[in-house]
Amino acid sequence: MGAYVIRRSLQAIPLLIGISIVLFAMLQMTPGGPLASSEAAGGRATAERTERLREEFGLDDPLPVQYVNWAGGIVTGDWGTSYNTGRPVIDSIVDRLPTTLLLTGLAFAVALAIALPVGIFAATRQYSAFDYVSSGLSFVGVATPSFWFGLMLLFLLSFELGWLPSSGLEDLREQHVGLAAVWDRLSHLIMPVAVLALIATAQLTRYVRGSMLEVLHQDYVRTARGSGLPERRVIVRHAFRNAAVPVVTIAVLMIPDLFLGAVITESIFAIPGMGRLFIESAELRDYPVLLGILIIAALLVVLANLLADILYGLLDPRISYE
Amino acid sequence: MSSHTLGGDAASEVALQTPARSLWSDAWRRFRRHRLALAGLTVLGLLTAAVLVGPLVLGIDPEQIDFGAKDAGPSLAHLMGTDELGRDQLARVLDGGRLTLAVASAAVLVSIVVGVLVGALAGYAGGFVDNALMRLVDVFYSLPGLFVVILLVTLLGAGFSTIVIAIAVFSWMNTARLVRASFLSLKEKEYVEAARTIGVGDVQIALRHILPNALTPVIVSATLGIATAILIESALSFLGLGFQPPQATWGAMLNQSQTAVINQGQWWRGFFPGAMIFLTVLAVNYVGDGLRDALDPRKVER
Repeated sequence: MGAYVIRRSLQAIPLLIGISIVLFAMLQMTPGGPLASSEAAGGRATAERTERLREEFGLDDPLPVQYVNWAGGIVTGDWGTSYNTGRPVIDSIVDRLPTTLLLTGLAFAVALAIALPVGIFAATRQYSAFDYVSSGLSFVGVATPSFWFGLMLLFLLSFELGWLPSSGLEDLREQHVGLAAVWDRLSHLIMPVAVLALIATAQLTRYVRGSMLEVLHQDYVRTARGSGLPERRVIVRHAFRNAAVPVVTIAVLMIPDLFLGAVITESIFAIPGMGRLFIESAELRDYPVLLGILIIAALLVVLANLLADILYGLLDPRISYE
Repeated sequence: MSSHTLGGDAASEVALQTPARSLWSDAWRRFRRHRLALAGLTVLGLLTAAVLVGPLVLGIDPEQIDFGAKDAGPSLAHLMGTDELGRDQLARVLDGGRLTLAVASAAVLVSIVVGVLVGALAGYAGGFVDNALMRLVDVFYSLPGLFVVILLVTLLGAGFSTIVIAIAVFSWMNTARLVRASFLSLKEKEYVEAARTIGVGDVQIALRHILPNALTPVIVSATLGIATAILIESALSFLGLGFQPPQATWGAMLNQSQTAVINQGQWWRGFFPGAMIFLTVLAVNYVGDGLRDALDPRKVER
């Protein structure tokens, strides 16, 4: 198993190199070329200064040499500095990352907590009213633009009813203690997490239902039933354990989508996370920060794929690691 | 090849019992039975007609400013209300819809062309070319879509063609994989071999004999691609990075409605443009689902 994990991880390296080449190509397209990602930004650089910087940063080197230098910098943690704040890119990202990870994690937990029971229940009662309603709702959920859903929630729960705060992560006007502090934090998270989790929940519910239905028609489930096991035990021990293999894979692959979706959630609810940093940087054309965030997001996609593959191998005994 | 003759006999027996039908009439018959898909198709037809001829029928200029009627909720005079300049929202929604649908269709068209070219080349050539192109597909699959689209549009400047290209660049991979798979299996078929023996050239075989048969799965993926393209463009415009005023897609209208909806409770400003996106995406998804069922030959008839 260990050898399988290592071998599979090594396969990700050429992929990462390919991704970095595409990102490097995009960096070449930035106005002023890659020089713009250095301190020369701001347009105040004189011709001599630009010339000196070109030499200093090796911009007269052939492109492959430049690429190796750039990629080396990424690997060793030298991600350049933000045009806007002058801070190292990596620091700005690390500041914002926990918030986005919190949102992503909570949304993922909510999606699982709803999709698993609903999907399983709908599958065991195929063509029942519950099945029709939940399937219909998941179809609707998949088609709902998250920004529209968020905007309408804000109108209803913040403007009309005044139940939930409309922006930020905490009450900035007042310091809360004890339970009030917990509610303050919670009330700021309900709508953003709901908006972020919506599409993932809908997709996952459909998926859980589908793979449960497939398993429920298998012979071994009929055998388990025929041998007189209680229905509950058949569903949980025999059916779901088998249906779980593809479900786990799909669920893991959804994590990067949630992470990317945070862009929209953070923008609607004015939450200072990485998605918002990305939008702010796009508006200011702060390319070093944009590329830094892109690298993090691409890493996450590759990692999620890797994890899904490894989990699939772990969970399905039919797959050999040799 | 004894099984071949056997299969042939069985097929001719079946053919005796049922009247001959073409692939397309067969598919249409199955599609029609999918009631929601039929409803989706109707809604899409109505929506397209509405954004194309609606503005003419309505006869209201979407840019017509009328301060006397500003910030008004839905009424008979303004079915979807008005904005802070008193512009009629219905006229703006119809006008914006044309741009939204045009961008999405163009992006899907470009992505199909790219996907078919890459997939056909990989599948027909095989070997090293196939391997290299499929690794390229892997790389593009691993790039964080929406983020890269945002970066590209920021780099190139927001405009019709740049947005179309940015979306297309990140949506051709599925088509490429499907076309490649079809080419791989079809190029081994007897009729292709027959064509080759009588001296038909490679390009001719790929274009005339394989491609038409490889396109069926692409139809489903292209249909569903329209929904994705609409959502990406709307997200881009909603974030304020897509089309700039006075050009207004549904996403851009939602972006401009944020303050009015959240701080002034003018729900109609955001509700209607968003509802249009929702309705279109829902309808496209249903049509795509129906098409998948109708075109999938492995689907058991019930």
